[in-house]
Amino acid sequence: MIELENIEKAYTRGEVVTQVLTDISFEIGPGEYVAIMGASGTGKSTLMNILGCLDKPTAGHYRLDGTDMVNLDDEGLSHLRNHKIGFVFQQFHLLQRTTALKNVLLPLMYADHYPEEAEELGESALAMVGLSERVDYRPNQLSGGQQQRVAIARALITDPAILLADEPTGNLDSRSGAEVMAIFQRLHRDGRTIIMVTHDRDVAEHADRVIVLDDGRIAADEIVSQPRDVETELANLTPAEEELS
Amino acid sequence: MRVLRIAGEGIGSLAANKLRTFFMMAGTIVGIAALTVIMAIGKGTEKRVLQRVEQFGPQAMMVVAGGGKAVGPPDSSVTTLTLDDARAIREEVPDLQYVTPQAWESAATLKHGANQIQAMIWGVEPQWHEAWKWYAAEGDGITDEDNATLARVCLIGTSVKRDLFGQTDPIGQSLYVNKVSLTVKGVLERRGTSGMGGGDFDNRIIVPLTTAMRRMLNVDHIGGIRVVTKNAALMAEQAEQITQVLRERHRIRPPLEDDFRISTPTAIAKVVRGTSGTLSILLVALASLSLLVGGVVLMNILLISVAERTKEIGLRRAVGATRRDIFAQFLTESLSVTFLGMLLGSVLGGGVSLAVGRLTPLATVVSWEPFALALVFALLVGVFFGVQPARRAARLQPVEALR
Repeated sequence: MIELENIEKAYTRGEVVTQVLTDISFEIGPGEYVAIMGASGTGKSTLMNILGCLDKPTAGHYRLDGTDMVNLDDEGLSHLRNHKIGFVFQQFHLLQRTTALKNVLLPLMYADHYPEEAEELGESALAMVGLSERVDYRPNQLSGGQQQRVAIARALITDPAILLADEPTGNLDSRSGAEVMAIFQRLHRDGRTIIMVTHDRDVAEHADRVIVLDDGRIAADEIVSQPRDVETELANLTPAEEELS
Repeated sequence: MRVLRIAGEGIGSLAANKLRTFFMMAGTIVGIAALTVIMAIGKGTEKRVLQRVEQFGPQAMMVVAGGGKAVGPPDSSVTTLTLDDARAIREEVPDLQYVTPQAWESAATLKHGANQIQAMIWGVEPQWHEAWKWYAAEGDGITDEDNATLARVCLIGTSVKRDLFGQTDPIGQSLYVNKVSLTVKGVLERRGTSGMGGGDFDNRIIVPLTTAMRRMLNVDHIGGIRVVTKNAALMAEQAEQITQVLRERHRIRPPLEDDFRISTPTAIAKVVRGTSGTLSILLVALASLSLLVGGVVLMNILLISVAERTKEIGLRRAVGATRRDIFAQFLTESLSVTFLGMLLGSVLGGGVSLAVGRLTPLATVVSWEPFALALVFALLVGVFFGVQPARRAARLQPVEALR
């Protein structure tokens, strides 16, 4: 499903060449839940951008569902992102003056066909992340955890091949973070392929497999024998913020 | 349609930022409004020119005693224009249909019973009716016999009829001009007011030329000669020939000024257009300046908006927008702004045009043409000033934009 073959990435500024990624190769099969881990500056964001087809490697091949993105132009990459990849960002990146539902539907705007039942799709996506009561809320009327859940609903609206999450809990308190992890766990059980980039080992260990980056190279690629179970974590936490208010 | 969805995204952002949108539109509104008013005045003026020329006679010229001004009544102190001049023109200038002399008194006192009014008197020959295409609505016109016998008869304008005779039938009745008694033999067709100066054409009487010269005005000279050409294309040439004939007869050589002048439809049109021209130039300057400044403001607000919305652009790129989509979205914003500005500007301009037509001496005509032109201008401004911001937005690298 995902094949990385000798991926290199280097930035050239003037005469200074900075090698960010060196000889990255791995495969991720359908339904896997993989965490890419590393301290800041180890190239995990760069790898994330390449995985998300937002950036191209300087060398190597990256095949996503059989398509080698290295050969694609802007149009092709955009199309690939729209179809195959659902993004979840650390800063949520919701459109501010726009309702939760409209935010969720945004990727469909750039799809080849805008489904007639788009609104129903959006509403059920929001229901799946527990926000069916918040369809018409704007981001500034939602808590951080709720905003991230809207972002997850948005990522799933095109039914992408992979869900790509960049520090999805980075801006959240522990309870909201755990809720997001719970949603990921549920998606994983339903067979969704998830790649999550994080610097936090505790977060990474929710996944089945952890790829550790160090100085732009793969330092470890290991199976997590006992992934953390979010349900038990949640049970030990204080009640959710919205339940308190 | 994907294109329409992208356009919708552009318009949505305008609706969400109404004040910003208004500032982006302001220049277009003023510019298009000015453009609309210019065209309304232009059309109004041309309509007035046409009316005035129609009234004057598109094939006609007037030779009038006294030089100087281009239009208006003759200078009564100039006594050099005579019946012989009229005859000479008739004989020496070819292809003229009518050459008919007239004598004038611009303000005479008319009396009938207890009623007394001021009106204009024209002494005319029978051809006058044809030369002016102005005939008797009731009774008869001036005849050769009237002129031969210095008949004490007149035809009256409808205003004279109303003011002097009221409801009674004026034909056969008599009226007095000073000590001269005239029998009304007819009523002239209604002609309305003059396109210039607003003088009432119907506040006049016409009498036989000989009667006017001998019995009433006691002069040997005439006030003017109405000339109608057979061929309008020859008019400029014929005016020149008439000038030569009269200069020769009056012994006028440069640097002496002419003691007569010749009004042609061209000269009349020039006078009618005169005042509106300068105003139009001012308005053209205002329109171009507004559109230019408005365009620059629009571009700058869009550039700021691109900078402010970097993250939004990055996100849209991440979820599948191509460079072209982003370009289209921002260009749609720019075009929608100028289009909306054009609509409002056209409405404003139409309103101002109507007000100008009512409240000032300028004539205006509100029509669809300025609207079509405004549409073209609005789209040009929208594209010209929208491309740069749209291109900048499209060039953003998604990775950079999302950082």
